[in-house]
Amino acid sequence: MRRTHASITFLYDACLSLFNLFESNLYICKFLCTTQYTKTEYKMGKEDVSAKKRRKINSSSSTSEVNKQGPADIYKRVVEFEETEAQLRSAEKDATLFKKICQDVRQMFSDIVELKSKDSDEAKEKINSKRVEASLLLVALKKLNRLEKVRTRAGRDALHKEKQQVDSTHLLLQNLLYEADHLNKEVTKCLQFKSKDEEIELVPLEDFYKDAPKEVSRPEITKIDEHQLQLARLEWELRQRRELAGACNQLVASKERVAAAIAAARSRLDALSPHLRDVLKATKPLQECLAMRLDEKREESKAASLLPSPLFLLYANSSAYSDALGEKTVTVAISGDEDEARRLEQQSSVESDLIVSNDSDSDQENNDEEQREKKKRHHRTSKVSKEEKAEAKKKEVFRKHPLNVQITVKVQDGTALNLIFSYLLNLKIITVKFTVSLPKPVTGVSAADVLNGNCILHELYSSDNGNDSPHPATAYLLKAAGIPEGFQYFISEVGKPYIWAQRMCGLDFMATVIDDQKNNKLLQPCPTLSVTTVEHFILTLRKRLKSRVELMKELQDLETGKISPLDGNSWPIRLSGSLTQWQSVGWPEYIQSPSTTFLISEGLVTQNDLLYRAIITRQSAKLVALVALKSDYPKKAPIFSLTLHWNGTHHSSINDDIRDIERVINTDWCLEDNKQPKLSIQMTKLLTYMDILLETSGSSEFPPDKVMFSPVRGRNRIKPYKFLKQGTGVFVQF
Amino acid sequence: MLDKILYNTVLCQAYSPCGKYLVAGNIYGQLAVFDLDRILNPVVELLTSDYNKPKYKHNLESGNQICSLVTTDKFLIIGTVNEIYGWDWKAILSVKLSKPSWQIKISSKTSLEYIDVNSLWLSEDREKLLAGCGDNNVYIYNLEDRRQISVLSGHDDYVHSVHGKNDQIISSGEDGAVLLWDLRTAKSHNKIEPYKNNKVSRPDLGKWVGSASLSDDWIVCGGGPRLALWHLRSLDVTTVFDLPDHGIHVSYFHDDCVIASGAAKHLYQLSYSGEIRVELPVSATTVYSAVLKSNPNVLAIAGSSPEIDLCTSFNYRDQILHFR
Repeated sequence: MRRTHASITFLYDACLSLFNLFESNLYICKFLCTTQYTKTEYKMGKEDVSAKKRRKINSSSSTSEVNKQGPADIYKRVVEFEETEAQLRSAEKDATLFKKICQDVRQMFSDIVELKSKDSDEAKEKINSKRVEASLLLVALKKLNRLEKVRTRAGRDALHKEKQQVDSTHLLLQNLLYEADHLNKEVTKCLQFKSKDEEIELVPLEDFYKDAPKEVSRPEITKIDEHQLQLARLEWELRQRRELAGACNQLVASKERVAAAIAAARSRLDALSPHLRDVLKATKPLQECLAMRLDEKREESKAASLLPSPLFLLYANSSAYSDALGEKTVTVAISGDEDEARRLEQQSSVESDLIVSNDSDSDQENNDEEQREKKKRHHRTSKVSKEEKAEAKKKEVFRKHPLNVQITVKVQDGTALNLIFSYLLNLKIITVKFTVSLPKPVTGVSAADVLNGNCILHELYSSDNGNDSPHPATAYLLKAAGIPEGFQYFISEVGKPYIWAQRMCGLDFMATVIDDQKNNKLLQPCPTLSVTTVEHFILTLRKRLKSRVELMKELQDLETGKISPLDGNSWPIRLSGSLTQWQSVGWPEYIQSPSTTFLISEGLVTQNDLLYRAIITRQSAKLVALVALKSDYPKKAPIFSLTLHWNGTHHSSINDDIRDIERVINTDWCLEDNKQPKLSIQMTKLLTYMDILLETSGSSEFPPDKVMFSPVRGRNRIKPYKFLKQGTGVFVQF
Repeated sequence: MLDKILYNTVLCQAYSPCGKYLVAGNIYGQLAVFDLDRILNPVVELLTSDYNKPKYKHNLESGNQICSLVTTDKFLIIGTVNEIYGWDWKAILSVKLSKPSWQIKISSKTSLEYIDVNSLWLSEDREKLLAGCGDNNVYIYNLEDRRQISVLSGHDDYVHSVHGKNDQIISSGEDGAVLLWDLRTAKSHNKIEPYKNNKVSRPDLGKWVGSASLSDDWIVCGGGPRLALWHLRSLDVTTVFDLPDHGIHVSYFHDDCVIASGAAKHLYQLSYSGEIRVELPVSATTVYSAVLKSNPNVLAIAGSSPEIDLCTSFNYRDQILHFR
């Protein structure tokens, strides 16, 4: 009931408004006919329309003054009424109402269809009533529609308004944020500010209070206020710096004055040198007249300044010895290309800074070169160029300093040994070549070998044969340069790198190896080492040379079959055997003999020794003696290895008698004095022992000639090899 | 000059009574003591490079050659030149050699004459010491008071070796004679001269007889003449051993065998019929001493070499000792 009532009231409202509208529409229609306004104009804003209408009404006629007033108000009122109504009514309820009405209308239409199919009057009646009802419902629908339109417009307006407000607030917010950001930046900029004065190095605080005057330091303020303190310190700094700058200027000025003075003095000295030269020239005739070597020496010392430091040390020390010992024993000279040396020195002084990086560079160069070579191979250039390059590289590695030092050591009889010391620039070692000059030619092949062969410098110091580089880095340098052969391979070319030669030049590789762990310094020649070694070497070499000359004479005699054991005095025993051959033999020949196996296996004879073969014959007996002379003979006695050819072949490892003779000759057993016996004495002894051995054999071929107590003694049946000077001399067993 | 020890010649050897040590004497008057225990049963961890070198090396004061060695339970008896020394074994086995416990002097007629004690032999009852000497005599001493009991003189040259069996003594000399003696009467009752027998003589090596030994029925001797087995009663050559030697210096009986060596490359173990049973290569140019010891078996061979060969099986050379 209530719903029906509500719908009825609503329906009434709808009718009322419809009526109002109807009225106004009628009115409008009337005007439309007269004024020909288009409907579009009418569809403009309602206020507008009403305003226009009012104007039009005003302009159209004055007859319907009352009426004119009426519809405008009504229109306005209707609009206002509907607007308020739309606000007051809830939209949801209207929606349900609308749906319900639609349902009713549909029902009505279906009823009408039903009634129409009956096609009776009663039905027609009913159809009419239903039609009215439906029309009324349509009116209500229209009203609802309008209300909805109004509501939508109102909502859209509100939304638009809200949107604008939000936009403006958002803009405001953006502005504020930007401002805040800017402010923050400013703050950090302020915080990061650095004052110039912080960079200035200031005097420490204690010193400042100590040194600065009271009026600057003002301790009563500055102690409290840090800023004031800083200011005070800066002030003090400024004051001090000003003073120092003043002092500096003064000093610079005085320096310039001194420089000017020096320049003046130098120019005066320069002016002096032509005079001096003149004076020197003037003394030349006098020097020649007095046979003084002053000029030569001066030249030489000039050349000496160009020597590399190791050779210079050698030159300096050995020339000192030459002065001290006299030129008859030692002379020193410098030879080689001086200009080349000068150029080299200039070059090295320029490059001295680059030395350190050199190594890596050379590696790179290697690679580059290899690549270039590869390219070249592509171009099919001849293979020769590669070999040439290798040759050049080899030459570079083994490059010698253009100057070398020559030391000539002489002994009394005029035999001189000329040593040439060269410095290998890249390998940093000294090599030695030598020549021997003899006063008269040596007769005999083996005798000449003693002085000419390489062996003259062998074992001058123990185990120093100069067969390999003493510098530990040599092998590496050679490998880096791409040279596969060891240093030994080139010794014949460059000379022998004896250790004594290095030491004479103050190079001690052992020391550097030890030092390496501590500090990796460049190899510096040690002067004291050079001094001591040069002295010792010259003495040793002279001794060696002397002994070699003596040995040469001995060998010369032996080669002619002469044995002279005691200078002048003849041996007290008659010797029946004779030396028929003396010649030098090679190592292969030496090791071939079965008699030497024992000596070689014991390491008593090595390839470095001088080897000879002596053949002694007496009737049908032949004694072959292989003699090994150590390089430092006569410090070490010669070693004999014997083979007797008589009634078969006998040597020490199968025959005790031969072994006994070897024992007596080779060992220090029962040697009266500790002097090492000379070769010729040993040879004489050997001849004697051979006689004894043969004479005690009981063979009729060798009648006993020597006086002996008993031919054999002891279980080992040893022969009497010991000579006693009793009467004419007696041989007894040891 | 080379070290004389490279040309070392060992003339004699002896084992200590305990069997643990081997002593060897050389011509330089040096006595080397080898520790056999350490050499034959080495402890690998304690092995040093000089394990085959002498444990001790003693030098005789006189420096005279050591010609012969013989051992008793208490003493090592050393025959050198003009003297026979008796050293307590304890002294020998200490680091430093003290004075000898006793010594026997063999007086020579002239000051220049040296009398080597070439061979020492101890009678089986261990009471008498026989010394074959360089003055052609064999001296018999009482070991208890070291007094000379008698002299066996009959050789015309120095005596090389003395050996005996029961009361029978055999001596051989440089004169080429092998003499048989009775220990009780000190008289020579038989004599053989191998160099006169053309089956054994070798004129190019001389007539000297380096070694002669006795067994109950046999004599083995050799030297310049060939090594040969002689029958004791008939004094005839039974077997001539055909060896490629240049002189025999060692020959004796052992376990129905003859062991012999000398200036040869081998030491031979021979049967009575003359077959070579074992041929043992040796280091020495000439072997002057080959001594045997049983339990454990050790054969030490020394001669003119710094090396001494040791064999435990008689078949091959086990070890080489260095006397240097």
